[in-house]
Amino acid sequence: MNMKSSANSISEELQAFSDLARDFAARELVQQREENDRYPFGELFTQSIKNAGVVGFFGANLPAEYGGVGMVASALAPVLENLSMADASMACIVFTNAAAIEIINQAARETDCAKIYRFIGGPDAKPVAFHSFTCLEEIDMPRADAKGIISGRLNFIALAEFARYAVIPAENPDGAISYYLVDLNDGGVAKTGPVYSLGLHACPAADLSFNKVPGTLIGNPGHGEIYFKAMQSHLSIGAAAISLGIMKGSFIEAFEYTKERFQGGRQIINWSEVRMLLANMAIEAQVGESCLASACRGNESGDNGWEYSARAAAIHIGELACRATVDGVQLLGGNGYMKDYGQEKRMRDAKQVQCLLGMAPVRKIDYIGRIIDESE
Amino acid sequence: MSRIRLSRKDKKMFLARDPKIADTMSSLVSHYQLPKATAMYKEIDHVVALARKFNDEVVKPAYKEIDLEVSKNNDYLCWDFIKKANEWGLYTLFLPKMFGGGGINMIAMYPFVEEIASVCVGLSNVIGVHYLGVATLSASWNVRLINKIFREVKKGERSGNPCLISLAITEPEAGTDVEETLLVDRARLGTFAKKVEGGYVVNGRKIFISNGHVSTWHMLICYSDKKNPSENTVMLAVKNGTRGFSFGHHEKKMGQKSCVASELIFEDCFIPDEYICIDSDDVPKNASKTRVEVIQQVIDYVVSSTRAGVAAFAVGAARGAYETALEYARTKKVGGSLLINHQWAQSMLSEMYKNVSMGRAGYMESAYANALHGMIKSLYKPYLFYVNRWLPRWYFTMISPLLGLKAVTRLFRNINFYWYPKESAQVSSGWASLVKFACTDLGIENSQMAVELMGIDGCRHDIGSEKFLRDAKLLQIYEGTNQLNRMNLFKELVGRDMPEVQIF
Repeated sequence: MNMKSSANSISEELQAFSDLARDFAARELVQQREENDRYPFGELFTQSIKNAGVVGFFGANLPAEYGGVGMVASALAPVLENLSMADASMACIVFTNAAAIEIINQAARETDCAKIYRFIGGPDAKPVAFHSFTCLEEIDMPRADAKGIISGRLNFIALAEFARYAVIPAENPDGAISYYLVDLNDGGVAKTGPVYSLGLHACPAADLSFNKVPGTLIGNPGHGEIYFKAMQSHLSIGAAAISLGIMKGSFIEAFEYTKERFQGGRQIINWSEVRMLLANMAIEAQVGESCLASACRGNESGDNGWEYSARAAAIHIGELACRATVDGVQLLGGNGYMKDYGQEKRMRDAKQVQCLLGMAPVRKIDYIGRIIDESE
Repeated sequence: MSRIRLSRKDKKMFLARDPKIADTMSSLVSHYQLPKATAMYKEIDHVVALARKFNDEVVKPAYKEIDLEVSKNNDYLCWDFIKKANEWGLYTLFLPKMFGGGGINMIAMYPFVEEIASVCVGLSNVIGVHYLGVATLSASWNVRLINKIFREVKKGERSGNPCLISLAITEPEAGTDVEETLLVDRARLGTFAKKVEGGYVVNGRKIFISNGHVSTWHMLICYSDKKNPSENTVMLAVKNGTRGFSFGHHEKKMGQKSCVASELIFEDCFIPDEYICIDSDDVPKNASKTRVEVIQQVIDYVVSSTRAGVAAFAVGAARGAYETALEYARTKKVGGSLLINHQWAQSMLSEMYKNVSMGRAGYMESAYANALHGMIKSLYKPYLFYVNRWLPRWYFTMISPLLGLKAVTRLFRNINFYWYPKESAQVSSGWASLVKFACTDLGIENSQMAVELMGIDGCRHDIGSEKFLRDAKLLQIYEGTNQLNRMNLFKELVGRDMPEVQIF
């Protein structure tokens, strides 16, 4: 079984970027994982976030003319998977920024977004905040007037703690939804946070209140839903990659531990009940890898209907990861429940990652809704 | 009645087939074997109401804050809560009246802990794990020590200085091993008691000891012979302040943070004879059971009682997750309509309700199996039940010195070790394992479903759903991993009459 990233099965050309992510993870994330996870009761790993920007992770899907790498979603997958195997928090920071940029990328197909890109680009650019854990159906939306002045509240905006800009949706007077770029340093923005949550502690989120905050319209007014759905398809590949990375990390840790740990006079890996649990995890990781590789191939070649593969992969691998990481803790017994090992964090992270791009049941209903619509 | 006639012989033959009524319907059997149902019910509804009042006044205002405090500072201990629980009499509530306790029947303890766990599993464990220590001491049937230590718990209640009891069994290199005599001889044990004049000298370390740092007494399981630990298991009562005994670190846990998991360190720690709960010398050479069988009996008594308790914690977690999701769904709008009015959400909530109800039915069945077959079955003999219920407390205080007589311990050990039928152990132990892994799996299922239903809001600490998932996971691990419990169910009920079966 290939316990390296799925990049090998996607394209050899991506190997360099994938290796970069693996090296970065080994250097910046693995040793400090427990300490980084203490946030907000410990320090935020700001230097690692900065270093992630230096190596180009925050420009992965930013067009090259604005200083980015201009990658498609499938190319981002191995980066996210490798980061996630070490610490899903960093993967979700990269993911959130990529989701915000993807909204702009989608808008740029219809309108000139140069001004927006210039705000968020540049050598010292920080990642952009976004509602990466919610879909539009579940958001209690703030309102924007005809001039783009925004008032209201948005909960759980990832990276809002430290980002300069956020890409946010708001309801227009006609009831349609538009996306805006807002400056989080504006005096009308109030942050409550960081919100302490189940997992991903080092990918902090905040609740935001807007009091007559000027927003810069992204793309066409009222096209927010179109941009979000398109982004959701592209970034579903990223969400699937993060879940897969967590699942693989959990399997590797469990596999190594069960070789070392003795109970009843033998290594626990030699108890067949333990082997069965490991087998389930290995099979789930393998199935996840195949799903993701298929979605990536579709995205790369622009196959008709690739969005279905991407969305299904995100939903399915997200579920697999939640199940597998519970077993990942179980295989380490009491040690798995303690923070000295990475397993309990992976279980928490997997569940929160399942919320990426919105509630899983809502995404499922949306998925079948698309199939029904097409059949009619 | 149907017109088909069954001869007495036929009836006996058909009822001898699996599943036997006595194996699978303890709650039904209890109707005619246990004391008058209304008397027991009155105690159950009393403690459920008490738990709900305690939740409203003590648990709900504090539990999230305690969880955060431990996240900030892992050495934080929730003494305010422990003192409140002590003040409310919760540490003596289920101790028999003859030992100074509240005398509430043990069946009532399971719905009681479910109630507390439906708000906070960790705090429920801060109460419940004390009864794990109680069960361990009780299972030794050392009536003199039981009487002494339980009365200290009562004294602690009166003085406002909580006196809790913990169980110290898990070791750094041995977890699953130490709960099964078939495995312990092959375990990598590290805590040994050397017999010396006047007592034992203990060296070693115990880890993951729930409530360790906040308990006064610790029921220590260790071994007097490295070569043959199953025959040389020793249970000692160790009190705080004993020379050579100290506390180590607090484990950094994912959940149940309010219930400290402690390291206990023993360095040339001398425990005098008077604090030996049970050792191999207590089993006469001509006894009807071997030393190993008696030790396995002690372990079975403890875990049959406490695994049903873990199942009740898990049903509490499943219920808390369900109730939080239900309340959320009543106000949250998704796609323009209330979440609770989406049919898929209704289906998920029904599934969660089903899990809670099935789990509760399961752990109550195990509770009845314990009442009929377990450690405390003698307390459910109607005459003892009513003696305990109606005689005044002063009467038990008056006869208390008699409980120190060796003859009393011998009598109870005869009843509970040597005259105890093997089949009884199979039902109570098998059912305890069954509900332990079934309910704890349901606990995880419901807490995962709650987060799914609530999306990212379900992951927020301030809303309260995510904590059930973190808390529930430990339930699949302690009191024997669910894997060990599946094996135990197989051993006790599934493969019991199959000579070709080999366990471990």
